Amino acid sequence: MERAIKEEKRVFMTGNEVVAWGALAAEADIMYGYPITPQNEVMHYWTRLAPKHGRKFLQTEDELSAGFTTIGGVLAGRRAFTATAGPGNILLQEPVSMAEMMRLPMVMAIMQRGGPSTATVIYSQQEVNLTTSGGNGEALRIVYSTATHQELYDYTIKAFNAAWKYRFPTFILGDGYQAKMREPLVMYNPQDKGVEMAASEPFVGKEGKFGEGREPAHLRNAFSMEEELYEVVMEHIQDYNKITPQIVEYVSLGCEEADLVIVAHGIVSRAAVAAQEKLRREGYRVGFFRPITLRPFPVRALRKVCKSTSKFLVVESAFGQLARLVKEALFGLEAEMDEIFMPGLGITSEKIIGHVKKKSELKV
Amino acid sequence: MSRIIEAYVGEYASGKSENAVNRALDLARQGRKVVLVDLDLVEPFYTLRPLKNKLENMGIEVIAWETKDTFGLGEAGYVIKPEMRWALRRKGDIIFDVGYGVQGFRIFNLVEGALEEENLKIYAVVNISRPLTSSVEDIIAYLNLFGRVDGIINNSHLGELTDKDVIEEGIQVIREVSRITGIPVIAISVEKNLEFLAGKSNFQGFPVRFLERYMPQSLW
Repeated sequence: MERAIKEEKRVFMTGNEVVAWGALAAEADIMYGYPITPQNEVMHYWTRLAPKHGRKFLQTEDELSAGFTTIGGVLAGRRAFTATAGPGNILLQEPVSMAEMMRLPMVMAIMQRGGPSTATVIYSQQEVNLTTSGGNGEALRIVYSTATHQELYDYTIKAFNAAWKYRFPTFILGDGYQAKMREPLVMYNPQDKGVEMAASEPFVGKEGKFGEGREPAHLRNAFSMEEELYEVVMEHIQDYNKITPQIVEYVSLGCEEADLVIVAHGIVSRAAVAAQEKLRREGYRVGFFRPITLRPFPVRALRKVCKSTSKFLVVESAFGQLARLVKEALFGLEAEMDEIFMPGLGITSEKIIGHVKKKSELKV
Repeated sequence: MSRIIEAYVGEYASGKSENAVNRALDLARQGRKVVLVDLDLVEPFYTLRPLKNKLENMGIEVIAWETKDTFGLGEAGYVIKPEMRWALRRKGDIIFDVGYGVQGFRIFNLVEGALEEENLKIYAVVNISRPLTSSVEDIIAYLNLFGRVDGIINNSHLGELTDKDVIEEGIQVIREVSRITGIPVIAISVEKNLEFLAGKSNFQGFPVRFLERYMPQSLW
């Protein structure tokens, strides 16, 4: 495939465009999609880029179809992806569950919007439950929560590679603010950075005959025997647990010597890290923990933090969706949990700083 | 004194609104009566709507929806405000901020008398750091999609990473676009805090418009 990005270059973009360019750099062959705010420009820019770079696009009748056609593309060996938000993410969960059962490398970008239902189009972190565990089955999927345009680019490339390497559905989880906001980033060709690109290959119509040098392509999502299902699902779970340490990513700052750790993900983590830095400068012993992978969650790392600091402040633009993951990770340990939950609203560093100063007896 | 009528068009996120707002305020500071028209019907939540009151307090009239008068800021359907359609019947200078790229510009014919208006100038705002309008060829191809462009504003920048190289490379590319197409370069726009990079009022022979940043305050 031709090099879509000729040379490393500083550019100025909106987040949705970054996803389209990241997919281009990741050698995506085709996007299937249905319009929904705030992800529309992922499609708009992909459709402007695709003809210039020999890639393809199909507009489907809804997100259910976008998900299943993405699976179709993947079955044919194409690096296929889709992007959606909110109610579209709900429809997408059925094909994602199928991909999970069949172990298909499906890639999706989600630009979260407010909910429940159609709600607002601009900004929210209320699709964490849905994206990390929305399907039936065991939620064996990878979810990267990004905070900057550079990360949107880096993790879009990574999402394709993780999906094709580990064969689990993989999400890039952004939000409406990241989707629409504008900031600079560096675009590059991943191979030039030494990124190993996981190869894509067809799942059906493979070359040769099964039994003669290759295994049969055995793709199933329906099972008639409970024991048989159990065996297959347990195998998937074992695979998932085995690769978890390789996939898990997080940022931990100043948590070792802290009286309080602020936990946030995605765009809110930018406000949280700014708050942590400012509070530190003022003499407050505050740490910062940000899961980059929401699934698998950095359980081990957070439990380690909890052993030195057991007071947490979870900050999110949702009502406890990140906190649920945090509590599950810390189960059995003694921990105090404070919160700033603002579903569908933006959170500033000033808000977090004010909260910490008012609530805590951490005073210098 | 003939009146100034300008429509700011260009690639998505090229800086149309910021340039339109600054131009309107600049004209008002010269003592002129100015009407700023927010013509983005595609993304009404990223438009001048949240800035309306602030800008009006600064001395310009803004034709934009008020948040309380809107519904479903996105997919629920968005309508043109009657005052937008009849904007050219108003007195004074009229600055149109025509949002959302070429697709957004397609609604410009809804403004009564716009394309027959002899004073109308359509100015394309170009930032060469936007990847799809970064080369001479791409910019010319993109400008052609508008059907008519009367002038180019070079708004090349990289946000907080803008340096002199970015501004100068922008000038070089835009100068070449202008040479080939015959479309004049109207101005170089540079963020006010970078004044030290671009000199006073003239940079490499082009007039400079210094921009105050208003749009970051407009996000919902």
